[in-house]
Amino acid sequence: MSTLGFSEEQRDCLQEIINVAMGLASDKLARFLNTFVHLQVPSIALVGASHIPAEFENRYQDTEAALVSQGFFGNEGVRGEAIVLYQMENAHKISALLGYEVGDVSEIEMLTDISSILTTTFLNGLADQIENSLSYSAPRVLSSVKGDMSALLKNTSFHWEHALKVDISYQLIDHSFNCDMILLIPGEAVTNIQRILDRILEDY
Amino acid sequence: MPHAWLNSPILAQLNSGVIVVDDEYRIHYLNAFIERHASVQLSEVQGKSIFAVFADLPEAWLKRKLMSVLDLKTPAFSSWEQRQYIFKLPHLRPITSSSQYMAQNCSMLPLSSEQAEQPLICILIEDATDAFVYQQHLSKTLIELERANRQDGLTKVLNRRYWEEQLKQEIHRSQRYHHPLSLILFDLDKFKDLNDKYGHLGGDFVLVQLASFIGSLLRDSDLFGRYGGEEFGIILPDTSLDGAIEVAERICLAVAEYPMLFNQQTIRVSVSMGVAELIPKQHLLHDDLIRCADMALYNAKRAGRNRVCSYLAGETEYQKKVN
Amino acid sequence: MALPVLICDDSILARKQVRKSLPESFDAEFQTAGNGLEALSILRSQEIGLVFLDLTMPELDGIGVLEAIKAESIDCFVIVISADIQPEMKKRVMELGALAFIHKPVNEEKLHSILKQYGLI
Repeated sequence: MSTLGFSEEQRDCLQEIINVAMGLASDKLARFLNTFVHLQVPSIALVGASHIPAEFENRYQDTEAALVSQGFFGNEGVRGEAIVLYQMENAHKISALLGYEVGDVSEIEMLTDISSILTTTFLNGLADQIENSLSYSAPRVLSSVKGDMSALLKNTSFHWEHALKVDISYQLIDHSFNCDMILLIPGEAVTNIQRILDRILEDY
Repeated sequence: MPHAWLNSPILAQLNSGVIVVDDEYRIHYLNAFIERHASVQLSEVQGKSIFAVFADLPEAWLKRKLMSVLDLKTPAFSSWEQRQYIFKLPHLRPITSSSQYMAQNCSMLPLSSEQAEQPLICILIEDATDAFVYQQHLSKTLIELERANRQDGLTKVLNRRYWEEQLKQEIHRSQRYHHPLSLILFDLDKFKDLNDKYGHLGGDFVLVQLASFIGSLLRDSDLFGRYGGEEFGIILPDTSLDGAIEVAERICLAVAEYPMLFNQQTIRVSVSMGVAELIPKQHLLHDDLIRCADMALYNAKRAGRNRVCSYLAGETEYQKKVN
Repeated sequence: MALPVLICDDSILARKQVRKSLPESFDAEFQTAGNGLEALSILRSQEIGLVFLDLTMPELDGIGVLEAIKAESIDCFVIVISADIQPEMKKRVMELGALAFIHKPVNEEKLHSILKQYGLI
């Protein structure tokens, strides 16, 4: 994994913070959905944003996929765009859990709701640990027809330099459901994050 | 006064609505924007349920959204593209806008403050009516543009370019699924004389009327287009030669008996029609089929006009003009 | 006498955080392990009084360590400190004989009160 100038300690620190944020998010979601939710973070990778489209091309190439993007802004220059990608068939599973009945709301609304919940619970957990707080822009759906995923991602990641790729697997009690989350961050935000990580490491 | 910490000169001036509710949906605060647009007074509605104060709220949906904000302590959003509005409020520009109610972008934010004794939710309502109206105009323009791309400006039937495209597609489809396909080409008899007699306005008038009339005689699946000045074509999918001839003869007869009133004068016209069926082995390009129908049309003219002729398999050249 | 303590977590930061959350008066000798196999190897070869155990680790995870401790009747107290905080997991951990389950990020007060409760400080 490319570390783009992160030291081993900084990377370890970031991984741990993300794991804890995931733990907090999964707990919240489990209570909200009234079911056992397991959020796994097998890996995080920090890559150049231009690499992102290729990364996901394979996984989403032949499926009907959707992409929901939401901006986040915090203190100390922490900001970026969070993108959640899923296969449409998976999205239907979780909508049932959120209490949506068929035809209740439009598919787009359901997707934005789910994504917003996933993104904000996770990012809030992250922010808490670095003593920051975040505000969010409204989520927007950039849904995709087959094969368009790559072009969409290219367009979105075009003006960001770095991407933090967080692979999330949700396991619900009797289903499994997969989605990917990417956090796109501008160059100076990476430096800011490194500074924050160093500060945390100093405390210990 | 309760919630003095919420009262601020900024909230009073803000051009967006702010409503603060608790976990039982009771109103704790609303700002001047809401007071003015909804014609309510904070003093009168404070403590009441939001559903009692605002009519026609999507109750189940809104409750679910608000609960998620409280449970997860994360914001929730709704855009005008999903739901045009949540709160039925008149908007700021009643004269120029075509929409009656304010289109809204809503954010629902968890309020955490030491001064709040219980968890509260702040509902932020932004007026998105301009975007909504703009989007509607844009959609309308796009539809019209698309129609313009397909339509013949005068007669409103399909224009030649689009009609020929459709012909190619229908030929494809016909060959793929082995369904018959026929083509009628026709034109107005002695159109030049008509133009001379009634002027171009009269000529145009006749074209428009006739196109409309003939269009009403066709099935939805038939594709009617303007091929030239006074020449038209009809693509008949799933139709064999016999069926097409029947249609053509019906049209021919009806047109001959169709009186049009122009400048208090009655105009009657007739058409000559050529019919051809797609012969997959013979017609390799759409031009080939057109040429066959054209040959038949020419024969119809030569045979005296106001009639239907069909292309006979094997014919390869136009009949010589019989003086 | 200093209590032999093992801190087991694959994250350096987490190990530091546990260490830092312990009371200053805590008389202990610390060792660390980066995964479950390392932890077991230490536990089998030495006397360890208290283990702080993370659940998600490579090679062998926290549950695996707990199961081995139970199966081999290794004598030590285990306090699980984990990011995975759902009730199901907590239940499982307690059934396997852990003393307590603390979720990350570690709350110092909670940790101190547990240590006090079990007479470890």
